[in-house]
Amino acid sequence: MGELIRRVKVPFPLYRIDLLEAGDDELARISKDLGLALSPAEMRRVQAYFRKRGRPPTDAELQSLGQAWSEHCCYKSSRSFLREFLFGIEAPSVLLRGDAGVMEFDEDHAYALRIESHNHPSAVEPYGGAATGIGGILRDVLCMGAKPIALVDPLHFGPLDLPDDALPPGVKHPRYLFGGVVAGIRDYGNRVGVPTVAGSIFFDKGYTGNIIVNVGCVGIARKDRILRNAVAGPGDVFILAGGKTGRDGIHGVTFASLELSDEMWEEWQAGAVQLGDPIMKEPLIHACLEAVDRGLLSGMKDLGGGGLSCVVGEMAFAGGYGAEVHLEKVPLKEPNVAPWEIWVSESQERMMLAVPEAKVDEVLAIFALWDVPATPIGRVLAEKAVRVLYQGEEVLDMDLAFYTEGPEYERPYEDPGARPPSPERPPEEPSDYAAALLSLLSSPNVASKEHVIRQYDHEVMANTVIKPLQGVLGRQSHGDAAVLKPLPDSWRGLAVATASTPQYTRIDPYRGGAAAVDNVCRNLAAVGARPHALSDCLNFGNPEKPDRLGFFREAVRGIGVVAETLGLPLPSGNVSFYNETPLSPVPPTPVVLGTGIVQDVRRCVTSDLKRAGASLYLLGETKAELGGSEYYRVHGGEGGAVPDTDPNLLSRCVDGLLEASRAGLIAACHDASHGGMGVTVAEMCLGGDIGAEVEWSPDGLRPDLALFSESNTRWVLEARGEPSALEGALEGLPLRRLGRVGGSEMRVRIGSRAFALGIEAMRNAWSGGMTRLMAG
Amino acid sequence: MNRDDVRVCVLTLEGTNCEDETVHAFASLGANPEKVHLNQLVRDPPGRHRALEDYQALVLPGGFSSGDYVRAGAIWASRLRSGLRRDLRAFVEEGKPVVGICNGFQALVELGFLPGLGGETDVPQASLATNDSAHYECRPSLLRYENRGRCGPLALLPRDGILQAPSAHTEGKFTVPQGEEEAVWGALLEADQLLFRYVDPEGTYAGYPWNPNGSLYNIAGVCNPEGNVLGLMPHPERSLSRYLHPDWTRSGEEGYGDGRLFFDSILTYVTEAF
Repeated sequence: MGELIRRVKVPFPLYRIDLLEAGDDELARISKDLGLALSPAEMRRVQAYFRKRGRPPTDAELQSLGQAWSEHCCYKSSRSFLREFLFGIEAPSVLLRGDAGVMEFDEDHAYALRIESHNHPSAVEPYGGAATGIGGILRDVLCMGAKPIALVDPLHFGPLDLPDDALPPGVKHPRYLFGGVVAGIRDYGNRVGVPTVAGSIFFDKGYTGNIIVNVGCVGIARKDRILRNAVAGPGDVFILAGGKTGRDGIHGVTFASLELSDEMWEEWQAGAVQLGDPIMKEPLIHACLEAVDRGLLSGMKDLGGGGLSCVVGEMAFAGGYGAEVHLEKVPLKEPNVAPWEIWVSESQERMMLAVPEAKVDEVLAIFALWDVPATPIGRVLAEKAVRVLYQGEEVLDMDLAFYTEGPEYERPYEDPGARPPSPERPPEEPSDYAAALLSLLSSPNVASKEHVIRQYDHEVMANTVIKPLQGVLGRQSHGDAAVLKPLPDSWRGLAVATASTPQYTRIDPYRGGAAAVDNVCRNLAAVGARPHALSDCLNFGNPEKPDRLGFFREAVRGIGVVAETLGLPLPSGNVSFYNETPLSPVPPTPVVLGTGIVQDVRRCVTSDLKRAGASLYLLGETKAELGGSEYYRVHGGEGGAVPDTDPNLLSRCVDGLLEASRAGLIAACHDASHGGMGVTVAEMCLGGDIGAEVEWSPDGLRPDLALFSESNTRWVLEARGEPSALEGALEGLPLRRLGRVGGSEMRVRIGSRAFALGIEAMRNAWSGGMTRLMAG
Repeated sequence: MNRDDVRVCVLTLEGTNCEDETVHAFASLGANPEKVHLNQLVRDPPGRHRALEDYQALVLPGGFSSGDYVRAGAIWASRLRSGLRRDLRAFVEEGKPVVGICNGFQALVELGFLPGLGGETDVPQASLATNDSAHYECRPSLLRYENRGRCGPLALLPRDGILQAPSAHTEGKFTVPQGEEEAVWGALLEADQLLFRYVDPEGTYAGYPWNPNGSLYNIAGVCNPEGNVLGLMPHPERSLSRYLHPDWTRSGEEGYGDGRLFFDSILTYVTEAF
């Protein structure tokens, strides 16, 4: 191997790798030894290119290709499926697709949205990994010219009460990972001053070896200030702004494009997780937004995976030009960083600005005021090539198309539909329904998340008109979506919600994907928002394994079918593959961030019951759909049908709900999800600190299965005013009267069964369900 | 002076993050607020220099100034002391209001301006220590206004009235040196420096979570002996509108939120005094 790598005689580390005549074995070794994570076929493609150039590549060139062609950067295994099912969903309200999607908000304003994963870094170093995940998603929104206004965090961990001896070697305990991730989100998110308004926490044994940490962001922009992630033309100067560059985060993207193994944990722990600094990010955001506001920028893009090597190439490529960069100008954290390390480092808190030459001084003055470093490091070339120099020496010179356009594969997949369904074995019907409901309320997947929610600042910016916890002061319960009022002079609102459906997707990926969209639409409609756009984060296993890829394809298809029927575009998204450990893949986990438009926030609806005597209704159809349900998980049921989605019914119900809430006919609304209708009514009682009387025919279902079924497209409503008005507004939809609000107990009669539970008993079970397990 | 002539300096530096909503609060009441970076006061950036004396009120907003990595507000206080102390002292001596909210309150305590028992001090007399829960707390708070008239800028607030404003901090526990609790409490009462105390919905001085941090005597806010320097932990700018209250969908109330009077009162004081 040594003989293939030759040091170039310059006063800094620079190597040429003589792979022009190398055989397959040698190419494989080069890929491994340099940490490129390129396949044999990809290495041969690299070899062919440099043979044509008639010279061996430098270390910087090979490292660049390792970054640019990684799964993380070029979506080489997923792109064909995303194109087939998602990219074609168009809507006139989509303004731009870039690092974040940009949607129309009102005549003069737009909003940006994106969700992405930060799984591997968070599994290795939960606090720093989660923090830098926030940093990254903020930059994705910022670089569209948008001001970040809300964060969301769907999280997935192993069970908090996992016995220590059940912990696989080298794996950190879920309690430690949970605590670290929550603290990382808290300390970074709170410091940058962007409210964390929604999210979810899901526990399952399948996440023990590989947690799933997703983070989403929305931002608001003036339409005439939206930026492309591109240069505008020759004459533009590249200004690198923000933090200094160091050795942290080298090979982050290649790390994210492999399965986690013992060896990797040790190897990468030292370097592959970046270090976040919210107090660099906060003024960086201000300074960038001031430059945006004054119209000084041609384009902007954040430095994330692959660092400079990706951002320079992609900005130049998107603009249709080339780039020249002088690496010695990049401000460094430490001395003696090799040129290739500067080029691929993923040090945090950095943005790349493309600035017309005449505006450079004005831009630099803004950053100086905020004490944020900003340095011109290169310029745009007319010719479509990237040239990188260090102290005058050329360290990289490649055609832009070859470099930036990664490979794309149509990998083989196995259709999961071909597997025989497992037989359904429901648990025995409970003799004590009250106890059955209490055990669901205290299940960590259902129980109160207040302990976490209140550690996140969900109100900074003073826009959060509907908050994540809703109800009587001191007695609040979970809401379905948060609503922001981003403009001081308008009552128009932006609702934000997330959904994740691994429990269904692992059994039936098509229905699981569809359910994620149904769930997020339910959440948005519940508060009175019309679903408007989605951003998806797809967390799956190794795509080189056909069964994993088959699940991925079906889940994407499920998302696509429902989104298309509702006319919901996905202007941004993220795929995270290789979420496996030697033990197993993680449960396939589609996560969806949904945004909705509220015409007038003063008509928003919360989940807490309001008034004794008011009528309660159930909107939607309840079926024997308990596959993957929380009831089966807690009470030991097996198999069963996963909730299906009828997108047309969903669409009609959403329309009906919105009409009713705008007319002021709904006092409270909460969707049915984990734990079914039983849990939904209980949570509404908890938030309102008032009881309810519910009487219900299970329509031939066993009463417990009806009560805890997780059928999609369902909401429980409290009517405001004359019940007949609400009934009229929802005519033609599957609506049935459930009972009425009142008393200090939740009293349920379902078929021949009846039970009652006091509010305080329910609150004890629900409030402590998760926190009880955190002490260990 | 007229309200639209009242210039309010809302001070920022890296890590302050409540400046926009604080500016909005004053702007929505007809004043002329401006977000001013500390560097604009202590340096001379081309075309952007500002002089503190040109403003009638100074607000230190919430956030995590400089990351609060040493102690909440300590770095901010130290930078104010080194670059702006003389201007600040002159500002205070003229009787102009200086208002610290959350991180701004922490900075004013670190700076020795609050509580300022017997005058400004070189060493902080109190501290806003880590919450009893040992972590960040973002939750609704109910504040009883208990000042008897010393605090001119808040004169419009009804005595013993309840103001709802969310708390959002990690370090908000009002603490004084051990053994001096009763003496400080007595001195605060005597000089009428007490502003706000945390209460529960029944109006009693309750413990956690109504007292979100474990503050001594449920203290949420104080002023200096002259009444023109004031600070509090909760965020009145976050209850400016009724629709920012956490329970507005229940109460059916519309229009202004509790926090509006806080800012209205400060502006009324300035227009009458200057």
